[in-house]
Amino acid sequence: MSVLEARNVSYSYDGKREILKNISVKFETGKTYAILGPSGCGKTTLLSLLGGLDSPTDGQILFNGEDIAKKGLAFHRKNNVAFIFQNYNLIDYMTPAENVALTSKLPPLPILERLGITKEEAKRNVLKLSGGQQQRVAIARALASESRVILADEPTGNLDEDTAEEIAGVLKESAGRMNKCVIIVTHSGELAKRADEVFWLKRGGIYRGEG
Amino acid sequence: MSFIKRAVLYCLRQRFKTAILFLTLTVILTFLLTGIAIREAAAGAAAGVKTSLGGKIELELDADGNMGGGVQNQWGTVYGYDGDLITQDVVKAISSVDGVIGFNSEDAAAYYGAGVDFKYLPAAFDLSYTPYGEASSYTATLSSEKCSAFQSGKYKLTDGRHITPDDRRACMISKELAEFNGLSVGDRVKMYSLDSDSVTEFEIVGLFDGAEGMSGNALTVDEIPANCGYIDYATMFELFGDELSGYQQLTVYVDDPTGIQNVYDKIAALPEIRDRTLKLRIDTEEYDGVSSPLKSLQRSVNITVAIISAVGAAILTLLLTFRVRSRKNEIGILLSVGMSRTNIVLQLFAEAMLTAVISFVAAIPLSIFSAEKAGEFMILADLDVKINAENLLPLCLIGFLLIAAAVSVSSWTVVRSSPRDILTKIS
Repeated sequence: MSVLEARNVSYSYDGKREILKNISVKFETGKTYAILGPSGCGKTTLLSLLGGLDSPTDGQILFNGEDIAKKGLAFHRKNNVAFIFQNYNLIDYMTPAENVALTSKLPPLPILERLGITKEEAKRNVLKLSGGQQQRVAIARALASESRVILADEPTGNLDEDTAEEIAGVLKESAGRMNKCVIIVTHSGELAKRADEVFWLKRGGIYRGEG
Repeated sequence: MSFIKRAVLYCLRQRFKTAILFLTLTVILTFLLTGIAIREAAAGAAAGVKTSLGGKIELELDADGNMGGGVQNQWGTVYGYDGDLITQDVVKAISSVDGVIGFNSEDAAAYYGAGVDFKYLPAAFDLSYTPYGEASSYTATLSSEKCSAFQSGKYKLTDGRHITPDDRRACMISKELAEFNGLSVGDRVKMYSLDSDSVTEFEIVGLFDGAEGMSGNALTVDEIPANCGYIDYATMFELFGDELSGYQQLTVYVDDPTGIQNVYDKIAALPEIRDRTLKLRIDTEEYDGVSSPLKSLQRSVNITVAIISAVGAAILTLLLTFRVRSRKNEIGILLSVGMSRTNIVLQLFAEAMLTAVISFVAAIPLSIFSAEKAGEFMILADLDVKINAENLLPLCLIGFLLIAAAVSVSSWTVVRSSPRDILTKIS
């Protein structure tokens, strides 16, 4: 059974031109998905709808078979999904440990250490870390939450090739070990290659890609 | 992570922004606390005035329709009051009423006495129209302490005591006149009254000052204030019994001005007063005269406190709006990790309140200082502007409402936006 599903979802910013047209797609735990597509095709919009940051103009987003609108989008964001953004989106007056503690009651240090952040680094201000380290903290925050789905929007977009490679590996390995469903929106073919399944978003429709 | 922990972290880590909010809140709270203290001081002073001045009830002869039919004499028709009088029985009845703490009747220049064994301070003309030279005037009184010159502070008792209702043949003279004649308290002086054609011996019971240096260009001795004194009313009745059957007026003093109406009703119901041609009225003139500037000050301070609150709220809202706008990213992140809008607003409120607590503590010594300065600059004397625990409660309430309103208004736009909109704008 799918953990997250978009069922007949359409979305329009202005009520006239639909950026997503009657899309249906299912995601399962333990798998990594990549959504590819040209700029402006609606990748981030689809991710926002799946994460409850916005509501579809038509159709439903289901979590474990239940419409997320039923319990509220804030509930869905808090309990079912976790985000990783291209620009890390860490709270700048907190340490890495405190950023992770935002979404989890578990001690943050073990997961940060597992992702390569040392104890000393975990106590520094997040802005004093490198881009790669900041993205590791963002991944740790997503993994530490009890959410079963991780939604990543261009998670390696701001990183150099080597770091991007490293981060992609960390994300896939950790999520797989924790049996989470990872949905990555990306332009990067390299990142997409690591995914278990690839979807193409084009002209408002979604198409399963060749792996 | 709870909103309180996030608020504490923000206050500790964003020290510059917290310091700006702290300074703004401290200034607003100091102004507010000083304003509240001045307002309370004015209210306290008004209450104090009420107690110190006490309440007064005036009993007067009702001349309307009681001036008789007129008597023809060589000058024409002479009318005289033929109604009821304020007799000693009336005074006795009033003095027994609960709440009455004293009474006085003051009749200026009721007695003219020429010095038989002493001399008055000389005037420009020596008008020796009595066998003992020129006469000066004396105010007849039941209680000289209650006389207007003493009540207003113009005259002050310097030696001896005041004339009381029990006195007989007692007088008070000015210190200047006493020194001029080498007299002191306890000495006896003789005065001749042309009206009663008699010499009366008075005991000097008290000396007063305040009449010095006003002799100026006086033509007659009674125009020199230092020559004028006070005598008891009983002697007046003794000397002019047939003509003077009662007091011209009587001022009744009550202990509690707030219960003055009750005392008034009791006096009005006395058989000695009821259905008589006497007028009874509550006199609030003196209290009104002193209390109206205080009331006006209270009103001004109320308006000032309201203006400070409104301006403070506006400044605070502006400051917090800038703060919230600069934190769109953070709010978007918090929304994306599932924090509710209420939870985020509570964090903003907690941050402001945590800062306000420190500002509150800082505002107390600052307000004490500014209250002292304000007290010194107050035109009204005896206005004791102090910061006390009672002032802090309204400050807490106003401060809490100001911060709640400012946080609500400043966070409204951003918190109402959809998290996607916020995050899209950030990226």
